[in-house]
Amino acid sequence: MSGITKIFPGVRALDGVDLEVQAGEVHCLLGQNGAGKSTLIKVLAGAHQPDGGVITWQGEEVTLKSPVAAMKLGIATIYQELDLVEGLSVAENIFLGHEPTTAGFVVRGREARSSATALLKRLGHPEIQAHRPVGSLSAAQQQIVSMARALSHDVRLIVMDEPSAALDPDEVDNLFRVVATLTADNVAVIYISHRLEEIRRIGDRVTVIKDGRTVAVALPAKETPTREVVALMTGRNVEYVFPERPAPTTAAPAEPVLRVEGLARHGEFEPVDLELRPGEIVGLAGLVGSGRSEILETIYGARKPSAGRVLVNGTPLRPGSVPAAVRAGLGLAPEERKAQGLLMLESVTRNVTVSSLSRFARIGWLDHSAERAEARAATRELSLRPDNPDVPIRTLSGGNQQKAVLARWLLRGCRVLLLDEPTRGVDVGARAELYAVIRRLADEGLAVLLVSSEVPEVLGLADRVLVLREGRIVHRAPAQELDEHRVLDLVMEGSPTP
Amino acid sequence: MPETSRRGLLFGTAAISAGAFLTACTSNEPDKKEPAANTQPAAADDKPGAPVTIGFAGPQADHGWLNAINENAKSRAAKYSEVTLDITEGSNDTAAQIGQVETLINKKVDVLVILPADGKALTQVGLKAMRAGIPVINLDRIFADPQAYRCWVGGDNYGMGVSAGNYIGEKLKDKPNAKVIELAGIDNLELTQQRTQGFDDALKNFPNIKKVARQAADFTVESGQAKMAQLLQAQPSFDALWNHDDDQGVGALRAIQQAGRDGFLMVGGAGAKAAMDAIKADNSVLKATVLYPPTMAASAIDLARALGQAKGVSGLAELEIPASLTCYSAVVDKENVDQYLPTGFS
Amino acid sequence: MKQPASEAQHGGPDAAATSEPPTPATTASSTSAARSTEEKGGWRALGLRLDVRNLSLLGVLAALIIVGGITKPDQFLDTNNLQLVLTQASVIGVVTVGMTFVITSGGIDLSVGAIVALASVWATTLATQEYGFAGILFTAVVVGLGCGLVNGLLIAYGGMVPFIATLAMLASARGLALQLTDGKTQIVTVNSVLDLGIPDSYILGIPPLVLVFAAVTVIGWLVLNRTTFGRRTVAVGGNAEAARLAGIDVRRQRLYLYLLSGLCCGIAAFLLIILAGSGQNTNGNLYELDAIAAAIIGGTLLSGGRGTIVGSVLGVLVFTTITNIFALNNLQSDVQQIAKGAIIVAAVLVQRRTLRNGEA
Repeated sequence: MSGITKIFPGVRALDGVDLEVQAGEVHCLLGQNGAGKSTLIKVLAGAHQPDGGVITWQGEEVTLKSPVAAMKLGIATIYQELDLVEGLSVAENIFLGHEPTTAGFVVRGREARSSATALLKRLGHPEIQAHRPVGSLSAAQQQIVSMARALSHDVRLIVMDEPSAALDPDEVDNLFRVVATLTADNVAVIYISHRLEEIRRIGDRVTVIKDGRTVAVALPAKETPTREVVALMTGRNVEYVFPERPAPTTAAPAEPVLRVEGLARHGEFEPVDLELRPGEIVGLAGLVGSGRSEILETIYGARKPSAGRVLVNGTPLRPGSVPAAVRAGLGLAPEERKAQGLLMLESVTRNVTVSSLSRFARIGWLDHSAERAEARAATRELSLRPDNPDVPIRTLSGGNQQKAVLARWLLRGCRVLLLDEPTRGVDVGARAELYAVIRRLADEGLAVLLVSSEVPEVLGLADRVLVLREGRIVHRAPAQELDEHRVLDLVMEGSPTP
Repeated sequence: MPETSRRGLLFGTAAISAGAFLTACTSNEPDKKEPAANTQPAAADDKPGAPVTIGFAGPQADHGWLNAINENAKSRAAKYSEVTLDITEGSNDTAAQIGQVETLINKKVDVLVILPADGKALTQVGLKAMRAGIPVINLDRIFADPQAYRCWVGGDNYGMGVSAGNYIGEKLKDKPNAKVIELAGIDNLELTQQRTQGFDDALKNFPNIKKVARQAADFTVESGQAKMAQLLQAQPSFDALWNHDDDQGVGALRAIQQAGRDGFLMVGGAGAKAAMDAIKADNSVLKATVLYPPTMAASAIDLARALGQAKGVSGLAELEIPASLTCYSAVVDKENVDQYLPTGFS
Repeated sequence: MKQPASEAQHGGPDAAATSEPPTPATTASSTSAARSTEEKGGWRALGLRLDVRNLSLLGVLAALIIVGGITKPDQFLDTNNLQLVLTQASVIGVVTVGMTFVITSGGIDLSVGAIVALASVWATTLATQEYGFAGILFTAVVVGLGCGLVNGLLIAYGGMVPFIATLAMLASARGLALQLTDGKTQIVTVNSVLDLGIPDSYILGIPPLVLVFAAVTVIGWLVLNRTTFGRRTVAVGGNAEAARLAGIDVRRQRLYLYLLSGLCCGIAAFLLIILAGSGQNTNGNLYELDAIAAAIIGGTLLSGGRGTIVGSVLGVLVFTTITNIFALNNLQSDVQQIAKGAIIVAAVLVQRRTLRNGEA
């Protein structure tokens, strides 16, 4: 594959990705969430049509019009969410859509079962019985069934999307044995995982993508240092321009506007204490699953804490109540902008004013022109483009959608802004502008709590940084005292480092 | 509100129990007659005989007529000191009703009276009861297999249509080019088709009469009002109307009142008390109604009792009760309304 | 005239270049003159988009009127018939307005027919009738609100799926209605209620039932389009999680919505009592399906987030007009049902096509 481009409304999901896979190798694909991995494999599986680029299959240029076309060429994909029918048996699932039949429609069940048994044996799992319903199998066994299904076609390339995510260490070993069997048969495997240690164990070569672009091609999987790989995944590939921090003042620091005391959620994160002062940006650095979004949402009342409390200007908030938090002056720009932040059917105006409706209303009666005027003023202040509050929000780019969310809280007059991955899905070029906006809001007196998995972003934007690992704050320091490597070490500590 | 409304529930029960003491459907005379053929000691009479337990299974009483069926059965059974009535909770669900009948079989009742929610679907359980030695009286909705019942008692839907047609025909026979309209019941029920067929066949006897319109309502007041309103709009003038069901007739009369129409003759169906009251008062277009008598349930209890005591029916020469009994669909009009008024249901 | 909406749809983010140049942050007052002209353009564009959706239904309605006018010119195109069609549309129309709110919020209310039945039965017991007009109206509305409250509590605070909660309400309300009546028809004898159904009470030739329907429609439209309540309804239906994180009390909003639907059912029950002069446990049969169908062909999204009262009312009128035309032409139920199904499919197909053309 070379120069693959895929444009979704508002965002370039893939912006010229190159990938080359050889027969019989395990090729690892690395990248952060939202880097474009899933889009890329969907292009490979024929589920998405690329807007540009060339796919070459065994020396010939091909187009993958549909999943069936990809399957016919011998490309099989095992998705993270297994696409098995739980009510059907193992054999029925394996041969779903291409059952051995008599006269074209009578399924020869016995033949299907014996072929299925043979396939499972080849995968080293003869204990999975072909007649059992898939729903009664463990996650690992289901994955084997998925693989057997792929093998039931004459497959030359198998794409595995985070196959180890749901598995125990023992089961992972099993999985690796299966992968080894496959490559021994000269089948190519594209292996996607977050876990670097796995990649070291079974990978041959590594391709890293970030922000829809290839940042490293065909690195040797076993020799490349972890730090280099992580830096490629999270590091800057474009020089971001971060706004300057305000000069430190000698005046006594302002009273904290937000204070979090011993806030905890069972199984998600351990007691957290933090303070946030007006004009200050505090960054939370951590990997996916370190509890960073959970902390943010618990402060905001969207999750109910199991212990601790949140105080705004010294007054405790009612736990687990978003309206109470919003009334107290908190605002959240959620991680999943489309799923959690925006009303995709609505115009920009309505997305901006949704949290401040009562402002434009007298006894529930909305003044539409005041609403629109204020929404426009707020979006203009953030230079949201296009400068027309009537356009549907879904037509905006990611960066402008994020600005609409910020405008919502600006309009509401909030004092504490909680930003969860504010630049995810935002084009690289638009990020600097967003950073400037965030810094300007802080300069105007807002307190900002920033969560990001991009270490340079946290370091560049925040005044102070809290490093989070496995639900615990492991380090606190002013941003100037940290560098990327130090933070990465803190974040990754405990993972095997060669 | 709740306690006040409970009082409303009692409305009309008095009329029902009064009606139940009358004799069965075919009777045109008060029940004073004693059988002449007293040489048959085996005929059932009002004197207490051997104890009989009768199991009764009917559909859910969600309609005035079905409710009257239950009431008739209960009060008739209460009349006989030696009769115990084991009545199930009504159900419109075939599976549930089968279960109820099977329970009654297991209880070893002496006789079963079954008004099936769906006659065909309950045939098997009827057969089962018969094989278990429990005679079945099949009420109204007939089983698919005659072996599934000892005796069938029911109304005559075709006959209802014939009676209505003939009554209207007699009233209009001297009027040239008379127009008749029909407000039918639920169209996907066989009984509705039978009533319409009987009505059409009877009207063939009167060449001067033409049926100009027909719409089907669904046995509810609401649908009766809606469909009648449309019929009235469609037909600026007509001479007679047959409405299959007095319940929906309440709505039809409301629509007629709302449209301010008169000058035609309306005949109802089934025999509701409200309809009979209106016929007696003679202040609306409703002049008659054709019976589909709920007293058939009382008759079924009588037959079940006779069966349980191994007796015949008084007034007939037979030693056994008959194998089937079709109730006559009499026409009630101002002339005879007083006689039928106690059987009217609400 | 500018067409900002469609322009942006084509161009996506790049359209910014062809639109106005981005102005730096300015105070709200300095550009107010320029903005007011734009506002009109924007609103007209939005209004047009709404019209396009309803236009197709208006087309269907117009076609029906032509068919009616050709087949039965005397009976169809006549004031009495207009009164008849509107009166018959009133009861289900009021229910549909409430249903439109619920569907717009991403919910569903399967219990509307059963609530109408229960309210109409409870309001016509002999005991209630002793309290006359006010007693009947009050009971109908309170029973409707009560059922809506139960629905709302189960869904908003009990965490039940609307489909299941309202299905349970359907069963129990019908059961209670049957228990109250024993299957008997409860005739209304309160003349002040009955009189509202006959022509003497018509105001300027408009039946009171139709006036109530019209009032409910207008109020419903205003509430959905011009109030915070309506806006929150749309937000909850469009993306409940986003609405919650934006600070809207989603649960309370849901509670209010089912209360609103219950209120509409109570009003509809009162109208039905006037119309039929009685209360019966079989009232409101399959209203839930008719109301949902009318709302959907009207253009309300079954998945929520978009609702139109005008469309819903047009949907109701289309159905009522079909029934009327078929009855006037003496066509039987079988044909009526087939045609109704066909027209639902046709209306939705036409609508989708118009919608696509409207956006392209």
